[in-house]
Amino acid sequence: MTEPVCSYTGDRDEALVMFLYDDGGAQPAAERALFEAHVRACAACRDELEALRGVRASLARWAPPEPRFGGPNQQSAIGNQPSSIGGRLRAIPAWAQVAAALLVLGVSAAVANLDVHYDRSGLTIRTGWSARGAAPSGAGPVASAETAAPWKADLAVLERQLRSDLRPAQVSNASAPAVASHTSDAELLRRVRALVEESERRQKSELALRIAELMRDVNVQRQADLVKVDRALGLVENKVGVEVLKNRQQMNYFIRTSGRQ
Amino acid sequence: MTWTDEELVARSIGGDSESFNELVLRWERPIYALAYRTIGREEDARDVCQETFLRAFRALPGFRGQAKFSSWLYRIALNLCRDWIRRERRAPIVQPPEDVDVMELAAAVEPSESIEDLVARKDLSRAVERAMALLPEEQRTAIVLKEYHGLTFQEIAELVGCPLSTVKTRLYQGLTVLRRELAKGEARKTKATL
Repeated sequence: MTEPVCSYTGDRDEALVMFLYDDGGAQPAAERALFEAHVRACAACRDELEALRGVRASLARWAPPEPRFGGPNQQSAIGNQPSSIGGRLRAIPAWAQVAAALLVLGVSAAVANLDVHYDRSGLTIRTGWSARGAAPSGAGPVASAETAAPWKADLAVLERQLRSDLRPAQVSNASAPAVASHTSDAELLRRVRALVEESERRQKSELALRIAELMRDVNVQRQADLVKVDRALGLVENKVGVEVLKNRQQMNYFIRTSGRQ
Repeated sequence: MTWTDEELVARSIGGDSESFNELVLRWERPIYALAYRTIGREEDARDVCQETFLRAFRALPGFRGQAKFSSWLYRIALNLCRDWIRRERRAPIVQPPEDVDVMELAAAVEPSESIEDLVARKDLSRAVERAMALLPEEQRTAIVLKEYHGLTFQEIAELVGCPLSTVKTRLYQGLTVLRRELAKGEARKTKATL
């Protein structure tokens, strides 16, 4: 026989939780057996236990997104640096970030062959791939300009250094095709095909997922719209009904009063 | 050879940074998962995770092995999560579905799983996430530690610093709220599809 109302004498919530989790045998066997016997007889506890098991099953489906940590090498400096970009930026003082930004600006200017000229006639900036000879005739000697703008000398040094750094990279880039030519065409073709197939497979999965989500969303929206339309129609019908009722009452009143007269 | 946490801790204290890296690799995912499920924001969970290891690294010389290394890490992470919630003065935020990387998700599809199953699984995961965000911090923490980290009631009580019976009550109350919220969500879904 099962009891519709729970008659457990102990702390029911605690006992339910203990029974639900087992907790590595922390609950004494006798206590557990007692509650188990109670659950067999108590419909309320049995139902609740079943529902809580369902909640646990749902909880098991919640997985956090994959963390995007840095690789082991990045983590190796854990004692000194956080590995995420945001964390690393926060670890750098503001003045250092400003200095870095200025340095990047200077390097970019050098790379773009930007000509920044400061002399008596003022500041001249040319984005120039044009010849330096095209500079205004009023330009003073280079030495005086450098005295007026000492940072220009630093920029020039930086530019020279950057060019010398870039040279080996260009040389290695130039030699790359020669190395690549050794790779067999068939192997390359096979790899490309594999990549394309992989990409197609992923795109198909993504498309199917998006379509399924879209269909579900459209369906939900449609249902919601239908409910809204239904409600609106109901309101209109109500209003019309009230108007008709009022008119009918007025008519009855007129008929009554005209009959009396 | 696989070292135990305690051995790695001892070697780290002795100045072997590789041992600490091993500990980080071993525990970064559980700590991240704990932080994410507690505060609900991916970026902040990552920051909490990093800060946890940073603090652990600094405090390592003071670690005397009174508790398990993992419990010690969990405590640091939970304190950081608590600080984060206080600082932000808000309930954990559930990330909008737009943040879900569909490519990643599609890549994770097992061949046997249909798209409908995948959508249903994702829906349920979101529903759980939303329901968890509604729980008070202490109930959520108890559930996360029990469900996802397999701690015993006693370990949770020691970790969060409350009596054993309180842990059980928090779990029961939390699960009951989740049950109600999940049922509500299910009812809404059924109503919408009718």
